[in-house]
Amino acid sequence: MPRRERPRPISKGTAIIDDELAVAGANVAVAAQPPRRAVRRRRPLGSASSAWLFLLPSAAALLGVLLVPLAYAMWLSLFDYDIGAGIDRFIGLGNYSALLADQQFWDSLGRTVLIVVSAVTLEFTLGLLVAYGLYRLTFGVRTLNLLMFMPNVITPVVAALFLRWIFVSRWGLLSGILIGLGIFPPDFLGDPAWARAVVILSDAWQFTPFMILVLYAGLNTVDQSQIEAAQIDGAGPWTLLLRIMVPAIRPLIAFVLAIRLMDAFRFFDQIYVLTAGGPGTSTETITLYTYALAFRLLQVGKASALGVITLLIVAAVILGMVMTLYRRDRGAF
Amino acid sequence: MSQVTRRGMLAGAAVGSLALPLIRPVRAAPTVQMLSHRFPALEYLAANMRSAIPGVEVNTQLMPFDKALELATIAFSSKASSPDIVYANDSTFLTFAKNGWIRPLDDLWAKHREEFDLDDFTRTVVAERSYKGKIWGVPATSNTLLFFYRKDLFDKAGKQPPKTLAEYRDLAKSFNSPLRAGTISCLRPVDAALNEVNYYMGASGAAWFDDTWHPVFNDAKGVAAIQMLVDITRYAQQGFTNAANDECMIALQQDAAAMGVQWATRALAMDDPKKSRVVDKIDWAVPPQGHQTVGGDGYCISAFSKQDPDLLFRILATATSQKNLRGAAGMMVPTRTSILQDAALRQKFRFFPAALAAMKVGQTYPKLPEFYSVGQFITQRIDQAVTGQMTVKAALDAAAGETEAYLKGHGYY
Amino acid sequence: MNAATTRRGWWSGRAGRRMRTQLPLFLLLCGFTAVNLTPVVWAVLTSFKQPVDAFAVPPRLLFTPTFTFHYQVWVEKAFWHYLINSVVISISTVVISVSIGTMAAYGLSRLRSNTSRGVLFAILSMRMFPHVLLAIPFFVLARMLGLINTYPAMILALVAINQPFTIWLMRSFFLDVPGELYEAAEIDGCSAWQVFARVGLPLVRPGLWVTALFSLLLAYNEFLLGLVLTGPATKTLPVALAEYGAEDINYWTLSAAAAVGIMLPIVAFMMLLQRHLVRGLSMGAVKG
Repeated sequence: MPRRERPRPISKGTAIIDDELAVAGANVAVAAQPPRRAVRRRRPLGSASSAWLFLLPSAAALLGVLLVPLAYAMWLSLFDYDIGAGIDRFIGLGNYSALLADQQFWDSLGRTVLIVVSAVTLEFTLGLLVAYGLYRLTFGVRTLNLLMFMPNVITPVVAALFLRWIFVSRWGLLSGILIGLGIFPPDFLGDPAWARAVVILSDAWQFTPFMILVLYAGLNTVDQSQIEAAQIDGAGPWTLLLRIMVPAIRPLIAFVLAIRLMDAFRFFDQIYVLTAGGPGTSTETITLYTYALAFRLLQVGKASALGVITLLIVAAVILGMVMTLYRRDRGAF
Repeated sequence: MSQVTRRGMLAGAAVGSLALPLIRPVRAAPTVQMLSHRFPALEYLAANMRSAIPGVEVNTQLMPFDKALELATIAFSSKASSPDIVYANDSTFLTFAKNGWIRPLDDLWAKHREEFDLDDFTRTVVAERSYKGKIWGVPATSNTLLFFYRKDLFDKAGKQPPKTLAEYRDLAKSFNSPLRAGTISCLRPVDAALNEVNYYMGASGAAWFDDTWHPVFNDAKGVAAIQMLVDITRYAQQGFTNAANDECMIALQQDAAAMGVQWATRALAMDDPKKSRVVDKIDWAVPPQGHQTVGGDGYCISAFSKQDPDLLFRILATATSQKNLRGAAGMMVPTRTSILQDAALRQKFRFFPAALAAMKVGQTYPKLPEFYSVGQFITQRIDQAVTGQMTVKAALDAAAGETEAYLKGHGYY
Repeated sequence: MNAATTRRGWWSGRAGRRMRTQLPLFLLLCGFTAVNLTPVVWAVLTSFKQPVDAFAVPPRLLFTPTFTFHYQVWVEKAFWHYLINSVVISISTVVISVSIGTMAAYGLSRLRSNTSRGVLFAILSMRMFPHVLLAIPFFVLARMLGLINTYPAMILALVAINQPFTIWLMRSFFLDVPGELYEAAEIDGCSAWQVFARVGLPLVRPGLWVTALFSLLLAYNEFLLGLVLTGPATKTLPVALAEYGAEDINYWTLSAAAAVGIMLPIVAFMMLLQRHLVRGLSMGAVKG
C-alpha cells in the first residue's frame, strides 16, 4: 500500500498529528486522498433492514426514556395545568396564544437572541483566533491546549459559582481589584447593561475552550498542499486563515456553531446563579422565564407550551443555518 | 497492541461496568425522609431529628431555600410518598395547606400536648402556623428583621438609631461614602426582596390587599412606601439588587456598610472573628416605625406519607423540645416562652433584647397562599423601579395588574 | 516586532525571525490562558480562606490558609461517598451510551443520505427541548417505576440524553469510511455485524475516544436530573454541592472547597486523556 508523501508541515505542532496519521496506515490514507469533495460512494447495505437493526438499541433508549417525558411535557402544554391549585383543564392552544400575546415572552425572546448571538459570535471569533494561534505555535501547544480546556470541564453549577465570586459587586475579585486601584467599578451584576455583558462573558468563558479545541483540530486537517500552494503565491497568515483554511473546514464550523446555538438557547444554570434574571428582567431569557412559570408561578401547562415554542425556534434556527451554509456541499449532515 | 486483547479488555470492562449499577446500596428499613432549607439553626434541628427516637432512622436532606421549595413542589404535586417531613416557612406552608399537600396536626397536637409541653410555644408562633382554624406545622424557629447598626460610628458622630424612616434615610445619607455605603439593602427576587418590601409597606402603613384579596399596594400609601425604599437604596451598598441575605451580611461584616435591616438569626455571626471584621462593633435596635417582617420556620407532615403520622410528630416534637431547643438559643429567636424569658440567655446574646422588643411590633406576610407566586411580579417590578427603568407608580400598577390577573386565574374573584 | 530587525545575534536571521513571531504569540496565548484560569485559581484560593479573608476588599493574596473546609467536605460531609456515586454513574453511562450510540451511528451512516439526515435531525431535535421542563415528567415516571434513588434511573436518563450528540459525532466519523471497504468485506462473506466490528470500528477508534470523553463530561456534570432522580444513597457530586448555597457564609467557603474537590477528578482524567481528544478530532471529525 502506498505511503502518503508527507509534506513539510508549517507548524511543528502538527507533526504529532501527522505521525499518528502515518501510523494509522494505508486505509486512512486512501480515505484522505484529495479531492476531498469527491462523491462519497456510500452504498447502502445489501438489505436496508440490517442498518435499521443497528439503530434498535439506541432507538429503544431514546424512545423509551426520552420520548415519553418529552411527549408528556408537550401534552401538558395543551392544558391549563396549575400544580398548585390543582387546576387541570384542556384548553388546546390557549397557552400558546396567551404566550404569543404576552409582552414578557417577546421581551425575553429578544433578550435571548441578543445574548445567544453575541455569545456565540464572541466564542467563535475568539476560538478561531486562538486556535489559529495555537496552530502556528511550535512549542508548548499541548500544555496550553490542556490548560485552556479547563473551564469547559467544570460543572456549569460550579462554574457559575466561580464566576459569581469574580463579578459580584464590592467584594468580587474584579470589583475588589478595581477598588484597590482606586477606580470605582460599575455594578457588574446589578446594572442592566453590565449584567447582560456578564452573562455573555460567562457563556463565552465556559464554551470558548470547546470551540478552540474543535477548531484547532479542524485546522490541522486542512490539506497541506493547498496551504503550500497559497504560501508560494505569497499569502500572508491572515489570508491563509480566511481564504484557505476557514472554507476548508466549513462543515466543522457548521457542526460546532449548530451545537453551540442549540445549547446557548437552553443556557440556564449560570444566569440563574449570577443574576436570577435580574435586575428586574434585564437578563431574563426564555429558559429563565420557563423556570419562573413552572416553579414560581406553578403554571406548568404554560411553561410546557413555552418549552415547545423554544424547541420550534431552535429547530428553525439550526435548519436555517444549515441550509445557508450548505447550499453547495454537505459534510456534517 | 494485539486487537484481540485490547478488545477483550474493553469488552470485559464493559460487561463489568454493566454490573456496577446492580450493586445497589444496602437499603435499611424504611427511613423517615426529611427535606429542609439549610441554615445553622435548621442544621442543629436536623441533627436533633436524627437522634430523636432511638431505632428510627431519619434521613435529613438540607439545601438552599429555593431548591428545597422546588423539590418539595415536584414531590408534592406528584403525590410522592417521600419526603415525609418537609420544611415550610410561615408563607410557604399556606400554599402547601391550601393545596392539600400537608396534614393538619390538631389531633396530634392535642394528644401530645402534655408530653412535650406544647403550650410552651409562644402564641405568636402557633398563630403563624395556623390557617383556616387548624395548625399545620410544628414551630421550629422564629425570626424577625432587626435594625443592625455600627455603634462605634454612631457614637463618634453622636447619633442614635433612627425612630422613623425619614431619619433612617437621612442617617444613611450622612454615613454614605464611597468605601462604606450608608446602608445595606437586599433586593434579590423573590424571597430577600419580599422581606424588605414587606417592612417598608408595614412601616408606612400601606396595605397589600383588601378584604377580598384585591391588590391595593399601588395606592398612595403603597407608592409612598416604595418611593421611600427607592430613596434609601440610593445610599445602599453596590450590587444591592442582586443581594440576598448573605451578601448583605458580608457587606456589614467587611465594614462596607454602616447600618441596615437584616434577620436576627444573622446577628451572632457579626461577632465571629472568623467571619467578621467588625466584632463587637455592631448593635441592634427595633427597625424604625416597627411593622418589620417577622416569620418563622416550621416542619410539616406530608399528606401522602406512608409513615405513621404519630411517629413523625414525635420526632418533630422531640427535636424542638425545650431541652433540645436551648442549644440553639443564639441561632434564632426562640419559639418557646421558657427560653425567651431565660435571664442568663439574655445576658449571653447581645441581640436578644432588641429581638424581643422587635417581635412585639412585627408583621407577617399577608396570609395569602399565593403570596410567593405573586411576589415574583412584585419584586421584579420593584427592582425595575429601583434601577430607574420605570417610575414607582408605573411599577406598582403593573405589578398590581399582574397580581390581579394571576389571582383571578386561581378563582379568587 | 520591527524594532529588533537591526539587532544581531539570536534575534536575527531566519531562526530569529521565527522567534520574533513565536515568542510574542506564545506570550499572548499564555496571557489568554492565565486570564481564562483566573476564576478557577481564585476559587481554589478562596477554599483555603476563612470567610473574613475570602470576601475582603481589596482582595487578599496573603492570608493564613486553613484546611478546615476541605476537611469538612471530604470527611465530615462524606463527599467521597458522592464521588463514588458520580464515578459509577458516569462510567456506566459512558460505556452504554457510546456502545449503542456507535451502533446507531454506523447504521445511520449506511443508510441513504436523505433518510439518514432526516432521522438525525429528528434525534437532534430531542436535544432542543429545555432541560428544566423534563424534570417533572422524569420524576413522575421514575416514581411510578419505583426507580428513584437507584443507579439505573440516573444512568438510563443520562444515556438517553447523551444519544443525540453521540450519534451525531460518531456518524460523522463513520461517514469518512469509504464504501469500498465495506463492499470488500461483504464480498468476503462477512455478516453485517462483522462488517461493523471488523471494518468500521477500528477505523473510527479515535472518534470513540472523543465521544467517550465528551459523554463522560456530560454525565459527570449533570445537575438537574441528579437533583430529581437521585436520593440519599445515589446522590452525585453536583447535587451535593448545590445543597450548600446560602444562609451562612461558612457555606460559601465550604462550597468553594467542595467545588474544587468536584473539579479535581475530572480535570485529572481529562489531563491523562487529552492527547486522544485532539488526535481523534483532527483525524476526521466532520470533513468536507
